[in-house]
Amino acid sequence: MRQSRALISEALRNLKNNIERTGDPLGLKNTYWTDWAEGLNLPKEGSTILFTSRMYQMMPYIMQTTDLISTFKPFLVMKGLKKVVRIGNRLAGEKIIRLKARGAKDIKEKGAKSLKGIVAALKASGVDPAYLYEAEPYSGVLLYDLGLDENIGSYIKKVYELLKKHGVEKVIATDPHTAYMLKVVYPEYIEGYDIEVKHYLEILSENKDSLEKACDFIPREQFVIHDSCIMTRDLGIVEQTRDVASSLGIALLEPENTKLNTVCCGGPIEYAFADLSEKISAIRIKELYGVTKNIVVNCPICLINLSKYEKQLGLRVLDMGELFFEALKNQSESIQ
Amino acid sequence: MKGADSAKNTLLNEIIKCRACRFCVDACATYQASEGVETMSAYGRLQSLRYLLMGTLDLDDSLVYSLYSCLQCKQCEIVCESKGQSLEICSIIQLGRSLLSQKLEKGESDAAI
Repeated sequence: MRQSRALISEALRNLKNNIERTGDPLGLKNTYWTDWAEGLNLPKEGSTILFTSRMYQMMPYIMQTTDLISTFKPFLVMKGLKKVVRIGNRLAGEKIIRLKARGAKDIKEKGAKSLKGIVAALKASGVDPAYLYEAEPYSGVLLYDLGLDENIGSYIKKVYELLKKHGVEKVIATDPHTAYMLKVVYPEYIEGYDIEVKHYLEILSENKDSLEKACDFIPREQFVIHDSCIMTRDLGIVEQTRDVASSLGIALLEPENTKLNTVCCGGPIEYAFADLSEKISAIRIKELYGVTKNIVVNCPICLINLSKYEKQLGLRVLDMGELFFEALKNQSESIQ
Repeated sequence: MKGADSAKNTLLNEIIKCRACRFCVDACATYQASEGVETMSAYGRLQSLRYLLMGTLDLDDSLVYSLYSCLQCKQCEIVCESKGQSLEICSIIQLGRSLLSQKLEKGESDAAI
């Protein structure tokens, strides 16, 4: 709780500056946002696009940045704290974090596999979206969550104009935060907003028969599902997750708090209050591994926050996209 | 200025609809993780925001912690709805943040609304 005001002030300022300077919340310019799609040959233009908003790709950077802040926080006076937050938030692209993030191979691989799996599943369902590669913008979700209203309106307008310039009519979001922004928040700021937005699980659930046919997967383990709060309570995507899993031959086990009553993983506040976030994730992970040690999530923020217990507790935390990657290995491998 | 006043009144009008049943308190993940500090629950946050808007409380570290640590997970809204009230608690907190964030971001020493 100490120094919260200074911490939030600095985080807000840096976020605003980063977005203005680079269009990226972490202030990164040249990174590997598009590496995961290498060899996929996704069309660069099209009326239906896959929108990652860099959420899966940012996972190693988010981990390094929050680690840095939480390590130094207890030892710092206010002035020093500001400096660390500035380094952590504004210049996640600084060499030390960049190198460390690139070294975080496990989490980077998880992100890449998830996205490749999602694309393979969409293709198996007969959906072949375009991907804007380097031109893909960030959704602006952090600006919105932190209440930077003076900035969010103009930012949303810019993203909308960019999408229109590329002829986009339909967006398939790969994570719930982006789906929520584009589906619910953007129309509040853009008059006559006319882009159709769906989360990929909605699309897959509409085409589950095709997915089932393409699948060559015999699951050996049982999995417990951790629903994302936004996915269920904001987007109403509950049964679609179960339907799609059953197309892969997986009957998901339900923890005590599930579906509309799911419990947050603590991820949304990790940027500033890592210790509180960790207490929340510790409570949730206990509920989940009380059911089974194989956990499935459907959001990159949940994936970061829960997968950090993998080694400590001997668990496996997989994203739905990673399951698709395994289930559609032939298709996924051919696009690696 | 008028916009901020209007947002402030809208928020106060929403917050006073809370019937203080407190069923949302136990449901809040940050309350559970804080071992029972009420300002770290949905109800506590609404009351903190209310007294901040009324000028009774100053914006100090504990208030910033309370308001910015909300996960926006809407678990409280499920409980609120089940008790027949259906307040949009997370939107109220998010709107409260938006009033504060403009000032905090500019580093204004007096961030009272």
